[in-house]
Amino acid sequence: MSARTRHRLMMAVVWAFLLFLFLPVLVVIPVSVTDKTYLSLPADGISFAHYASLVDPARDWVPSFRNSVLAAFATAIIATAIAAAFAVGAWIRAGWWPSSVRLLMLSPLIVPPIIYAVGVVRVLSKMSMLDTFWGVLVVHVVLSLPMAFLAIAASLSNLDNRMVTAARSLGARPMTIFGRVILPNIAPGLAAGAFLAFITSWDEITVTLFITARHFVTLPRRIYTSITDSIDPALAAIASVLLIATMAVLIAQSLFSGRHKRAGSPK
Amino acid sequence: MSSRFERFALYLTVPAGLLVILLYALPILQVLALSVTEGSGALANYERLFTSRAVARVVQTTLVVSISTTLITMVIAYVIAFGMIHMDHRQRKLALLMVSIPFWVSVLVRAFAWITILRSQGVLNSGLMSIGAITEPIQLVYNRVGVTIGMVHYMVPFAVLLLYANLTDIDRRVVQAARSLGARPMTVFLRVWLPMSVPGIAVTTIFILVFSLGFLITPALLGGGRTLMIAEYISVQISNTGRWDLATALSAALLIAVGMLLALVFRSPAMRAAFGGSSK
Repeated sequence: MSARTRHRLMMAVVWAFLLFLFLPVLVVIPVSVTDKTYLSLPADGISFAHYASLVDPARDWVPSFRNSVLAAFATAIIATAIAAAFAVGAWIRAGWWPSSVRLLMLSPLIVPPIIYAVGVVRVLSKMSMLDTFWGVLVVHVVLSLPMAFLAIAASLSNLDNRMVTAARSLGARPMTIFGRVILPNIAPGLAAGAFLAFITSWDEITVTLFITARHFVTLPRRIYTSITDSIDPALAAIASVLLIATMAVLIAQSLFSGRHKRAGSPK
Repeated sequence: MSSRFERFALYLTVPAGLLVILLYALPILQVLALSVTEGSGALANYERLFTSRAVARVVQTTLVVSISTTLITMVIAYVIAFGMIHMDHRQRKLALLMVSIPFWVSVLVRAFAWITILRSQGVLNSGLMSIGAITEPIQLVYNRVGVTIGMVHYMVPFAVLLLYANLTDIDRRVVQAARSLGARPMTVFLRVWLPMSVPGIAVTTIFILVFSLGFLITPALLGGGRTLMIAEYISVQISNTGRWDLATALSAALLIAVGMLLALVFRSPAMRAAFGGSSK
């Protein structure tokens, strides 16, 4: 076997594995336009009836969608504010306290969420916050802090601290330095942090499964119940909406970053 | 003496500190505390983990599924990551997109897609039956096979991104040196690439294993109640039977197992180097 054949063979295997990652998720799109009332590929033509059923008031997809948007927006704002304050504080002043808090804050990235779920369900039940907006909000904020913090800290690490020194020596007050010098310079990090916090809350299911029941149902919770109760093509419709939205964002980002790089390349 | 500015910095860290202590650390400590106070006490709770046949079966399923998931994931992910560093710019961009889309798509959408494909009236079985390859549907979901397929599909994007970052850090001049000294491609792979990616492989393997051991959603949906793993078993103990003693003891045991695996990551010098940490 020549080197070239071997290289081609390896690349064929690589693309086959990539297709294994990419193709299966696409199956929800044809299934969502099936003309049947059960989960199947379209047989005699396509139908958008299952998309229409998503907005049917009797099917309560809309309230869960609204709850998720609400929780994700509130989480993004609060988590970004708390993570930004902490990141800046820890950036200025190192020590045992900021590093311990950082370790705890990043734990949800690795510690299995099931363990946190078991603990937090008891805590929220003592505070009568189970199955409420506020209960979901505090849990989502805790779970979103790591990603928000990492995005903001990455942005801060590019900040020249001589700017802060200059502002201090010119007599700026701490609040002025924070608001007028540091924050404007880490705006991209804040935006990325808020976006990641939004997505974390929007997608969260493991812990939400334990702390919600009937009153405050998020979209993932609604989807989970629907998959375990009765699989129907409306699920394929909502899955397609989520999939297409994700793909649109990622493809746009991929195209944009390409243009950006080309524009910045040497002439 | 701290200046006014440094005091201000300290105040900024307080909200985050209070939040993670009160609403993250305390709930987890609560799990540990309940595991020794609930039911008939610590000894009985933890003894049951070793004597109950139901727990033994769940632990065995969890280990078998998690270890096979990790091994299959690592092979697929290493091949993809290794392929990606040998692609040109355009191809790599496409490959990265094909990894990122499943990475960012909701875990529920992915589990649902696999149910659609694998169940007995699903896309795969009806396709195979219509071309006459099989006469009876094959049982591909609601068992260990289905759970493993779904979990591998969930884990591979993570592993690819971790391994790819590690492989791009490898000094390509070593590879060129080996080639110019006449090493054959297989030798270059076995004696240069593979040894140099050991730290990345080790760290990724442990992360994937940790994620697998505590995974709830995909095993619960693709296992359909028939293939029970630890996380789902804990969830059943709480929601259906109210057995907090068993649920918290199992959670504590899972936390300890995960803690020990992660200690491995942070102890070993090779792995610390892979994290870009200390020089030793």
